[in-house]
Amino acid sequence: MKAELSPRRQVFLYGLLCVLLIPFVFPTWWMVTSSVKPISDIFAFPPQLVPARYDWTTYSKVFELQPFVKQYWNSAYIAALVTIGTMVVSSMAGYAFARIRFPFANTIFMVVLLGLLIPSEVTIVPLFQMFLKAGMVNTHWPLILVPIFGAPSVFATFVMRQFFIALPVELEEAARVDGLGRFKIFRKIALPLARPALASVAIFTFLHSWNLYLEPIVFLSSADKFTLPQALTQYTDAYGGPMWNIQLAAATLTALPVLIVFIIAQKQFVEGLAHTGLKG
Amino acid sequence: MAEVTLSNVRKSYGAVDIIHGIDLGITDGEFVVLVGPSGCGKSTLLRMVAGLETITGGDVKIGGRVVNDLDPKDRDIAMVFQNYALYPHMTVATNMGFSLEHRGGSKAEIAERVKWAADILGLAPLLDRYPRQLSGGQRQRVAMGRAIVRDPKVFLFDEPLSNLDAKLRVVMRGEIKSLHQRLKTTTIYVTHDQVEAMTMADKIVVLNGGRVEQIGAPLDLYDRPANQFVAGFIGSPSMNFLNGTITPEGFSAPGILLPLPEAEHGHKDRKAVYGIRPEHFFLDENGVPAEIILVEPMGSETQVTMKLGETLATGVFRERVSLSPGATIRVRPDLGNIHLFAADGGQRLN
Repeated sequence: MKAELSPRRQVFLYGLLCVLLIPFVFPTWWMVTSSVKPISDIFAFPPQLVPARYDWTTYSKVFELQPFVKQYWNSAYIAALVTIGTMVVSSMAGYAFARIRFPFANTIFMVVLLGLLIPSEVTIVPLFQMFLKAGMVNTHWPLILVPIFGAPSVFATFVMRQFFIALPVELEEAARVDGLGRFKIFRKIALPLARPALASVAIFTFLHSWNLYLEPIVFLSSADKFTLPQALTQYTDAYGGPMWNIQLAAATLTALPVLIVFIIAQKQFVEGLAHTGLKG
Repeated sequence: MAEVTLSNVRKSYGAVDIIHGIDLGITDGEFVVLVGPSGCGKSTLLRMVAGLETITGGDVKIGGRVVNDLDPKDRDIAMVFQNYALYPHMTVATNMGFSLEHRGGSKAEIAERVKWAADILGLAPLLDRYPRQLSGGQRQRVAMGRAIVRDPKVFLFDEPLSNLDAKLRVVMRGEIKSLHQRLKTTTIYVTHDQVEAMTMADKIVVLNGGRVEQIGAPLDLYDRPANQFVAGFIGSPSMNFLNGTITPEGFSAPGILLPLPEAEHGHKDRKAVYGIRPEHFFLDENGVPAEIILVEPMGSETQVTMKLGETLATGVFRERVSLSPGATIRVRPDLGNIHLFAADGGQRLN
């Protein structure tokens, strides 16, 4: 049973939470409000928390200056493929590491985990060389394949492995007695039960892919192939200076799906991390 | 239904032997209980019959067919696990019909079998619930339902009642027994609880350290245990043991001379262990003196911890003993129920 907090303690806790919220909420608030301000008002002093004047044309200019719909689609389908691919790879690999006894399983898992220690900046040049030779530069393939088989997937594999390890072995033994083979046990028993872990893998994989910046600027060179984070940097004036209000309007549109997904799935996300013994 | 035969079945993990060559024959329809202390290998043996553990040596036969290398699904067995192992994401009906579904049963056939099993076990109102919405006893019943729905050759139970409270355990014990009497399917049941073993089994197999200590009907094991281990394991409160020597006058234990049947005097001057069950002491003014240490009135009987010479022993009396600790009573061992075991090795002497 949860103990009721005293009113004074409640006020204190809510006050503390409000203070802690500032670094998270303020930038978002600033981004959204500044996206509808004329550019001169963005740097006005004292700062305007609520716009004094509204300029809604920023949003139409987002679409006029760049093939923004195409770029939105690029980000969306790449993130979707990466998410699905990572869920497939990490659930199967995580299950194998958790349940299948094969020689050097733990050593191999350690080697795989070492992948997390290598920063993407270190591997980006060799990867570029590889994809160049494969004729895949200025295509979306590197942005799809690198996350599915790279560090993000390693982390997802780790999360899935931890979940499958915690799953009672008796469930799988009961399924063996019931007539299921290894793959069916995975598909019919282990995977449906791993939904919370899969949901958290899906969310952080989607976020990672959606926000990916380094890889797109290395691998892509034509505007119609750009993804959103890369496109945001393209809203500049004739002198190369950023058009802040348009850029922030594009940033607001970019952040919107992520916010929606997170608000809808936050319960499963937290549950998933709780199941895997990881803390958010 | 089928017979199950284990011939010289062995199990090792690396250099460590867990099961040391077990021979066991289980006839068609028999209810056999494997009982023994924790770590004696009873669950391992059951899992070897199920096919969940590999066999290091020997043969397991089900229905006359060697099944050593067959998958669990091909052995035609059903198993009830200690923690029930119900699929949490499936309803009771889906849990029960799951194995039939994977063996190609038609929907109508599955529904009919599930209904049949649910009716037997009183699960009909619960078929649409999920395991998390059931009590411990209901989950246990679903696990049993899942086992019987397929009409397997052999039921395997791995300590199925150990997660239930004492009262429910007694109820479920009765249900499993009556289910067996109804279905007459060959059953192997693992427990560490000798009361479960005594009340349910047609035949008990007492295991210790991966070896069979004795196989027999419950009362045979109770009345004529083959060795000191079985004598101590079967029965509650457990048998009293007094170390001493067989002499022409009786059994000489430290500080006391206990009577022996005349037939046992032939073992004279042999070191031995004198075994007597608590209920085989009688209050008798001509008996041997015993100092009362503790009196525990149970209502129907009184349990008395007493000192026989220098050895603590337990007596269970139908009479109400109203004496206090420190007082002396006189008790007479029932000469027809005295067990003598070798001091070295513990084998039965009489």
